[in-house]
Amino acid sequence: MDSIIIEGIAFSIPLFIIAIGGIYSEGSGVINLALEGLLGFGAFAGGLSYALLSSVITGNPLLLIYASLAFAMVGGALLASLHALMCIKFKANQVISGVVINMLSVALTAFLANQINASVFGQPSNKFLLEIFPKVTVPLLSKIPILGAVFTDLYTFVPIIVVIALIMAYILYKTPFGMHIRACGDNPHAVAAAGGNVMKIRFISVLVSGALAGLGGMCFAYSISTTFSPNIYMGFGYLAIAAYIFGSWKISRTFLACILFGFARSAGYVLVQKLELPSSYGDLVLTLPYIVTLVLLLFFSSKTKAPKALGDVYE
Amino acid sequence: MLLLLGKNPFEAYRSILQGAGILPKTRYAGKKSQLTDFMSLLNYTTPMIFAALSVAVALKSGIFNICVSGIMVFSGFIATILVGYSSLAPIIAKPLVVLIGVVAGGLIGVLIGYLRHRFNMNEVVVAIMLNYIISYVVSFFIQTRFVDPITRQSVEVGQNARLTLFDYPIMNLKMEINLVFPLALITVFLIRYFITRTRFGFELQAVGLNSKASNYAGINVGKTVITTMLISGSLAGLAGVSYYLGSNASIQPRVLPALGFDSIAVALLGNTSAIGSFFASLLVMIFDSGTTYMSSRMQVLREIAALITSILLLFSAIGIFFRALANRYAREVEEV
Repeated sequence: MDSIIIEGIAFSIPLFIIAIGGIYSEGSGVINLALEGLLGFGAFAGGLSYALLSSVITGNPLLLIYASLAFAMVGGALLASLHALMCIKFKANQVISGVVINMLSVALTAFLANQINASVFGQPSNKFLLEIFPKVTVPLLSKIPILGAVFTDLYTFVPIIVVIALIMAYILYKTPFGMHIRACGDNPHAVAAAGGNVMKIRFISVLVSGALAGLGGMCFAYSISTTFSPNIYMGFGYLAIAAYIFGSWKISRTFLACILFGFARSAGYVLVQKLELPSSYGDLVLTLPYIVTLVLLLFFSSKTKAPKALGDVYE
Repeated sequence: MLLLLGKNPFEAYRSILQGAGILPKTRYAGKKSQLTDFMSLLNYTTPMIFAALSVAVALKSGIFNICVSGIMVFSGFIATILVGYSSLAPIIAKPLVVLIGVVAGGLIGVLIGYLRHRFNMNEVVVAIMLNYIISYVVSFFIQTRFVDPITRQSVEVGQNARLTLFDYPIMNLKMEINLVFPLALITVFLIRYFITRTRFGFELQAVGLNSKASNYAGINVGKTVITTMLISGSLAGLAGVSYYLGSNASIQPRVLPALGFDSIAVALLGNTSAIGSFFASLLVMIFDSGTTYMSSRMQVLREIAALITSILLLFSAIGIFFRALANRYAREVEEV
C-alpha cells in the first residue's frame, strides 16, 4: 500500500506540472500538442547542463541537481518559444506546429546528445548520466497511518513542484494577468478591445508552458531512469494532454486526473509484483490508467469545456 | 546547419537524391541500380501514403485522427497472427492480409467515431488512450506468445503473406516490389473522387466546416462522423499491414511507429487533399530514405536524417504565413 502511494506521487506530480503547462498554453488559446517534445527537450537541456556543470561545481551535488532543474526549464522555454513563434508570429497551424516540434525535439536531442557526447566527452553514447534525486522522509507527518506514506521517501522535487503549481494556479485564477490569459483563450478580440496585447500574452503563456513541461520532463528523467536518454519520449506529454482535457482545462480537476493516472499505474505494478507474475504482464498493467480514463470519460465527457477560441489564429 | 559541421550542403542534397534513387550514384553493389533504389523508396512510401490519406480524410470532416499509429499496430498484429504465421498459398494470403488490414482498422475507426458521437468524447484523448492500450496489449501478446528470442521482436511473418517481394529478379536486378503500391495510387484517386464528387463527400466536408449548420440542413452528423472514421480507420489499417507485413516483417513490442505521427504533419503539408498527401508523402520519404545514404557517405551522424525532415516540415508549416503575406501584398497592389 505504501509503495503504491510513494510511486504514484513520484509519477503524478511531474505529470501534473506538465499538464499545468498545457493549461497555460491552451488557456490562452494556443493548442499545445508539443508538450511531449518540450518535456524531452527540457530533460535534454537539464541533462546537458548537469554533465557540463559536474566538472565546475564539485562537492555540492544538491546545487548541481537544482541547477539542472532550472536549466531544464530554460530549455523547455527555449523550444516553446519556437512553437510560439510559429503559432503566433507566423500563424502556422497550431496542430501541425505541435507535431513538428515533437519530431524536431526527438531528432534534435538524439543528434545533439550523440554529437556532444562524441566531441566534448569523447565517448559514443546518447545518454547523460544523472545522480539519484534526493529523497526525504518528513519526521512527524510520515507517522500518520496510510496518509503518512505521502511524506515517506518523498522526492524533494515534489514539494518544489507543488509550490510552483500553487503559484501558477494563483496567477491564473487570482491575478489580472491570469484573467488576461484566460480571456485570450475565450475571446481574444475582447482583450484587444480592452487594450491588451493578445500576441504578447499568448507568447508568454506558451513560454511558461514550455518551462513547466521542461521541469516535469527533468523530474521524469531523474525519477524513472536517472539518465537523460531518448527513452524519455514515452508518451508522458500526451498523457498530460489527456489529463488536462479530462480535467476540463481546470487546474484543480487536472490534479485529480494526474493523481488518478499515477495511482492506477503504480497500483498495477504492485499488483504484478504481489501476484508474482512474469514481467511481461507489466505491459497489461500499463494499460490501466488509459482504460480507467476511457471509462470515466464515458460518464463525464459531456461536461468538458474547452477554451472557446482554442486554436484560432489571432490577427 | 551542415556548414556548421564543416560539410558541403550542396553535396549533401545531391547524396540525398542519390540515396533515394532520383539521381544515379557513382557506385552500386552487385545487382543493384538506380531503379532498385527508387523501387525501395516506393516500398517505404506506400504505408506513408495510406497513413497520410487516413489523417487527411478525417481532418476534412473536422476529426483529428491521432490514432493512426495505434491502428497500424493493431491491424498489423491481427494480420500477422491470423495470416502471417499460417501456410496459406500466397495468392490467397496476400489479399487476405489486405482485407484484414481494412477490417481491423475500420473497426477501431468506427469505435472512435462512435465514442465521439454518442458520448461526445474528445477524439484526441480517446485516440491517445487507444494508442497506448493497443501498444501495450499487443506488446504483451508478442512477449508472451510470439517473441523471437534473438531480435526481441515478434517472429517474422512468412514470405507467403508479405506484401513486398524482396530481391525479386527482374532484368538482372534484385528489386523490392511493393505489391500494394498500385493500390495506394488507386486509393488516392478514389478518395479524391469520393470527397470532391459524391454527395457523401460533400456532407463530410460540410460537417467539418460547421457541424451545427449541417445538422440543421438535414445531414445526419453522427452517421457522417462514424462513416468518415470507418474510412480513415481502414486507410490506417492498410498503412499498418503494408508497414508490418510489407516494408518490415515483424512488430517491435512497445513501440508505436513514428510514421503514424509523422503522417499528421505530412497530411497537413499536403493541404489535407488526397493528391497533396501523395506528393507530400513522396517528398518526406525521399528525404527520409535519402539521408541514410547521405549520412553514411558524408560521415555525419545518422540522426541528422530525422532532423532534416523535421526542419523541412517546420518551414513548410510556416509556408502558409508567407503565402498569406504574398496574398495580402497582391491585394494591396490591386487596391492601389
